[in-house]
Amino acid sequence: MNVVMFYLLSAIILIFSLLSITTRKILRAAVYLLFVLVATSGFYFLLNYEFMAAVQLTLYAGGIVVLIIFSILLTSHISHKFKHPALLNLLMGAGVAVIGAGVALYIIFNEKFTANGQPELPVDMTAIGTQLLSTEKNGYVLPFELISVLLLAAIIAAIVIAKKGKQEEKES
Amino acid sequence: MDFGQFILMRHELLLILAAVIVLIAELAVSESSKARIIPFALGLFALVTIAGFIPGETGTLFGGSYQSNELTTMMKNVLNMGVLIIFLQSESWLKKPENVDKASEYFVLTLATLVGMNYMISAGDFLIFYVGLETATIPIAGLAAFDKLKSRSAEAGIKLILSSALSSGILLFGLSMIYGATGSIYFADVLKNVSATPLIIMGFIFFVAGMGFKISLVPFHFWTADVYEGAPIGVTSYLSVVSKGAAVFIFTIVLFTVFRPIMEQWQHLIYTLAVMTMTLANLFALRQDNLKRFLAFSSIAQAGFILLGILGANGMGMASVVYFVLVYVFTNLGAFGVVAAVSAASGVETISGYNGLYKTNPKLSLLMTLSLFSLAGIPPVAGFFGKFFLFTSAAGSGYFILVLIAVLNATISLYYYLRVVKAMFIDANEDPAPTFRSSNAMRLGLIMCLAGMFIIGFASTIFDYLRNISDVLFN
Repeated sequence: MNVVMFYLLSAIILIFSLLSITTRKILRAAVYLLFVLVATSGFYFLLNYEFMAAVQLTLYAGGIVVLIIFSILLTSHISHKFKHPALLNLLMGAGVAVIGAGVALYIIFNEKFTANGQPELPVDMTAIGTQLLSTEKNGYVLPFELISVLLLAAIIAAIVIAKKGKQEEKES
Repeated sequence: MDFGQFILMRHELLLILAAVIVLIAELAVSESSKARIIPFALGLFALVTIAGFIPGETGTLFGGSYQSNELTTMMKNVLNMGVLIIFLQSESWLKKPENVDKASEYFVLTLATLVGMNYMISAGDFLIFYVGLETATIPIAGLAAFDKLKSRSAEAGIKLILSSALSSGILLFGLSMIYGATGSIYFADVLKNVSATPLIIMGFIFFVAGMGFKISLVPFHFWTADVYEGAPIGVTSYLSVVSKGAAVFIFTIVLFTVFRPIMEQWQHLIYTLAVMTMTLANLFALRQDNLKRFLAFSSIAQAGFILLGILGANGMGMASVVYFVLVYVFTNLGAFGVVAAVSAASGVETISGYNGLYKTNPKLSLLMTLSLFSLAGIPPVAGFFGKFFLFTSAAGSGYFILVLIAVLNATISLYYYLRVVKAMFIDANEDPAPTFRSSNAMRLGLIMCLAGMFIIGFASTIFDYLRNISDVLFN
């Protein structure tokens, strides 16, 4: 059953990823991306990573796609269609993608993955919660706090771009 | 852990504190006196810079996620000094009526990116490294688009964010392969498990490509010239000196520590990148007339020279890289400072516009000449010693042909640096840029660059000190 689900999810991800980058309407691309992200959370369920699956669903499929759609609706014309790319660009892009995927797949299939002897970490909610606030090895409190600096700076950067100066206010 | 250990992170915490104080001070000043925030922030950051030099404890925190030693402390101090000079040089630009109500944002964004760079340098695992890298990159896009009414500045912002998103994606893909092959993100654990298997080498190549974008090595340099030209000068100098310097530091540390077992493989890669970067950037720089584009290509070429020091792959190589970046901070900021001063006073940003500058502004012309000589590597200014140690380090590891190529490139670069000097001193101009007097902060910034160029060149204790603390990576 799991094997069937794996191939089904993979097919969904592949098809909608391709659709998402080939469609010429930006809103459709965002919706196709939603399907990709939902299907990805299916993989985490298959691996029994319930927490990751929930995060994937709520954050990516729920939050980020809604944000993307909001910003599309606020800024661009939905009826606008992108131009067809030039044939040469299309061929070169496809060539790079195929060769890149070929090399990566060849290398990954020929790799003998070995266990590195470190203890397996638990993935239940309690363990994840403790690790998130742990200051020991495999604890994540430092990156967690650093990201808050990043977010604060990103918000201020957005304000710099969005806020009207005094001169603009006079003109408008 | 107890809170006393937080003293190890004093550089980062001081910067965060300074950023928060500026944010709160912004609330306290009235609408009409926003300009007061500029000297306040300058003074505050000067204190932070001086406090960074106070010697203190070093060690590791958070189970190895954060590590500091004398070398990383030195690197952070180098970056702090660069930012201080940039702040001084941006003062008159920030006081302009269209910028003054965004002045505090300028300081907060710069300080936040500096925090990111400091964590990146002190990273002990790939997670902190990556979050630091993003903190050091994303807010700069807001800075690049600071003159948002100019379409070029807005274009610079969007180009920076798109190219950095692409490079981060490539970098992360590489890191995930390395994690898959070694089973850990901690530098110390990765080091134990790295060997020259195809998967690790592929991950490593993606890692180098991602870092190549940040350092703007050829062939990952396409964004550089456009972003440098479009962004305000204060931001351009920040990108080309501090941001690049921080990326070079962590790149060198990771190559020397984490990827030491596959050194033979990465030396081939770095060798090729060095040759391409030096040669192509020099050829492009030959035909530029806009000074910001010109300095962009010149800074790409300088990054190529830095790779020579990395190839040395020993304590000498590390010391020569840090020393070169230290020299480069003062030298390049000298050149950018003159461009900023002239641009603020007369709006001229082209080489041909500098014709006859010596007649009207002799002191600025002289400083520009010294900076360009230092960039080209002519004695007696510090740039000569910087290049000399890089070449020594590469030659010490037996890369004689590469050193020959580098010397040839340095000769080519001399031609285009002298073009600017010729424009200032020899070319006649009926209507040269008018004589002007820069603001006191700008003058202080330029004098610091001038002093730096001579002091670092002649005080041999500085290199000896760097040489001593560089061996810590190889124990």
